[in-house]
Amino acid sequence: MTGRIGPRPRAAAFALAAAALAAVAAGCAAAPVPRPAPVPVHAAAHEAAGARPAGKSQSHAETAATCNPDASSLAPLGPPAVTPGSDMARIKARGYLIAGVDQSTYHFGYLNPLDGQIEGFDIDMIRAVAKAIFGNPDKVQFKAISDAQRIPAVTSGSVDIVAHTMTITCARLQQVDFSSVYFDAHQRVLVPDNSTATGGLADLGGQQVCATSGSDSVTTIQDYPTHPKVVQVPFWTDCLVLLQQDEVAAVSTDDAILYGLQAQDPFTKVVGPSLEDEPYGLAMSKQHPDFVRFVNAVIAQDESDGGWEASYKHWVSPAGATPPTPRYAS
Amino acid sequence: MVQAAVRADGRAGPMVAGRIRRRRLDLRTTPGRLRLLLAGLVLLSLAWGALAAFTVVQYESAASGVVSTSEPLSLTAQQIYSGLSDANDAAATAFLTVGPEPVALRQRYLSDIAAASSGIEHATAQGGGTGPAAGDLAALAADLPAYTQEIGTADANNRLALPLGAAYLRGASGLMNGTLLPRAQGLYAAENASLGGTSAQATGLPLICVTLVAGLAVGYVLYRASRWLRGRTNRVLNVGLLAAGLVLVVSLAWLAAAYAGARGDLLHAQARGSATVEAVARVGIVAQQAHADESLTLIDNTGDDSYQTDYQQQQHALGPGPGTLLTAASAAADGSPAGPAVAAAVTDARAWFAAHARVRSLDRNGQHQAAVASALGSGPGDAGASFTRLSDSLDTAISTDQAVFNSTAGSAAGAYAGLEAGVIALSLLMAAACALGVSRRLAEYR
Repeated sequence: MTGRIGPRPRAAAFALAAAALAAVAAGCAAAPVPRPAPVPVHAAAHEAAGARPAGKSQSHAETAATCNPDASSLAPLGPPAVTPGSDMARIKARGYLIAGVDQSTYHFGYLNPLDGQIEGFDIDMIRAVAKAIFGNPDKVQFKAISDAQRIPAVTSGSVDIVAHTMTITCARLQQVDFSSVYFDAHQRVLVPDNSTATGGLADLGGQQVCATSGSDSVTTIQDYPTHPKVVQVPFWTDCLVLLQQDEVAAVSTDDAILYGLQAQDPFTKVVGPSLEDEPYGLAMSKQHPDFVRFVNAVIAQDESDGGWEASYKHWVSPAGATPPTPRYAS
Repeated sequence: MVQAAVRADGRAGPMVAGRIRRRRLDLRTTPGRLRLLLAGLVLLSLAWGALAAFTVVQYESAASGVVSTSEPLSLTAQQIYSGLSDANDAAATAFLTVGPEPVALRQRYLSDIAAASSGIEHATAQGGGTGPAAGDLAALAADLPAYTQEIGTADANNRLALPLGAAYLRGASGLMNGTLLPRAQGLYAAENASLGGTSAQATGLPLICVTLVAGLAVGYVLYRASRWLRGRTNRVLNVGLLAAGLVLVVSLAWLAAAYAGARGDLLHAQARGSATVEAVARVGIVAQQAHADESLTLIDNTGDDSYQTDYQQQQHALGPGPGTLLTAASAAADGSPAGPAVAAAVTDARAWFAAHARVRSLDRNGQHQAAVASALGSGPGDAGASFTRLSDSLDTAISTDQAVFNSTAGSAAGAYAGLEAGVIALSLLMAAACALGVSRRLAEYR
């Protein structure tokens, strides 16, 4: 099972980081941050270019004054319940949930060629929401969308919710609401087995590194001090094709995606340190705060009743993991 | 001069013989002029025969070049072009099927690739490898294996249920649309231009006009000669020259008739055969590309609309409407045996476009499985069935008019059969008749 995310000795690290973040957040709330906070216009421009303004992993705290991606969502109001007149009631009346998903990210959201069904960890999150609304996890209309379409799909209202290995960032929070963090990913690097670039991007200066256009991985690669050259393609699997054909030296994005690629080509390895924390959230419209609270209640329930862990064991690693601790904006 | 004559006479014998020989060369005397006329007419007849034979050889080889070289090469290029686009369509459509790919699609893909690669080999061997299409042929020969390898990798990954397979399919399709099809199109255009050139040579007017005018000039010379003879002798009619004139008329008529017949056949073959085949083949190729886009949109299914945008461009190019491929094919096929099949293709195309719109609408509304079912389906109203009908109509149109071309162009080349030997024999006959006619008059002076 080389292709699955291995047991992560990260629970302690996560707790430590969370504690540090909370401390900084508290500090920031009391006193202004010494560095200039990104202005929304700037952030929006970055977002349009598919960038993520938050920068390196340790720098999430820098923007704590304006946003904390790890605790940015609305707290649930008790267990999931479809209250009359709510967005959930509207969806229920329609008869199905409309979800924007990925169809080419192995183990997270992909079209299984064997049965033509879209499956994966992200898909399980959506099915849990559908089950909470309809009592039936199959009442979902999946719309496969590309990375670049995730925000437009939400803001235009063409989907109710997006589950698409989508990192919660401050820039994105300007445009959409996110659920609480349902998966902690980290940007890393995938190289062929025989590659000597075991240090990740540090060893890939001037070389071709692949990422999808519209993903926030592009900026991380471009801004890395060794300045690798970014090759942009529509899908992560296209990156693996280029890697197999020796047209790029590496692929760099969230480890969740990279392990899915590695599962399709055992002659590759994930290398280097974590370049950036990538907390995943389900994206929803800012117009529907009650739906955000509802989804957060579903996630909290899913994490506590073992649903999250079962899905993790099935799609990510049979060793299992502790779900991210739900944290919400105050 | 006198000394030489005397010496010659000394060797030749009696003085009488010497006088006669001297008289033969003397143009001031009638027999001398008759001898010159005889030689002139014989040479003129033979020269005319040579010119006529040369003309026949030129036209016959151009006409048979159309039938035996240019047209087959153009057909081969068309088969390479449509074979490649059909292979890509079959590969994409097979991919759309959930589970192992259907045997029929697999066979279609394999036979398309086999036809395309043997076509490339054949065209290279037939001299296309050195002509203007050499670059296209070399690129096709180099890239086809890369394409089939990517399709093979796509299939292998798909069998393992890995989404990587779809990425390889997209890559292969990109190679096909970006490199192979443009090259095949270039090759087809070059071979068609060469067919047009050979065909123009076989139907060209200048040489035949020169030859016919020369023949008429020979006839005029015969006429003047017989007038002159009538003035010198008391015969009203010189049978030999008259016979030579008649033989000339026969060979001129034969030549003109063969040329007119062959030209008519070739123009007909072009207008009713190759032009229709070309117009319909272009419809078929664009339709296959559009159909591959339909499948790829469903395989990709990301909402990123690049394949669907391509599809819409192809549909727009197909028409029908002013300046579109379907309308051009209808115009080309109008009145030809393929006319009904092309008319059916126009109807089929409309039905397919409507079915495609339903597929897109299903897919956009989250009914991906239903959309795929329609794209692959064989039931009434299914996009799959509509495309198959269109494809069948186009195939029928192409094979019908290809048959028209083969039979009419074949009869064009046959029009010259025996003509070369015929004009040579007739010119010998003419020469003999002239010689006979004049030598009879000459004999009267002995």
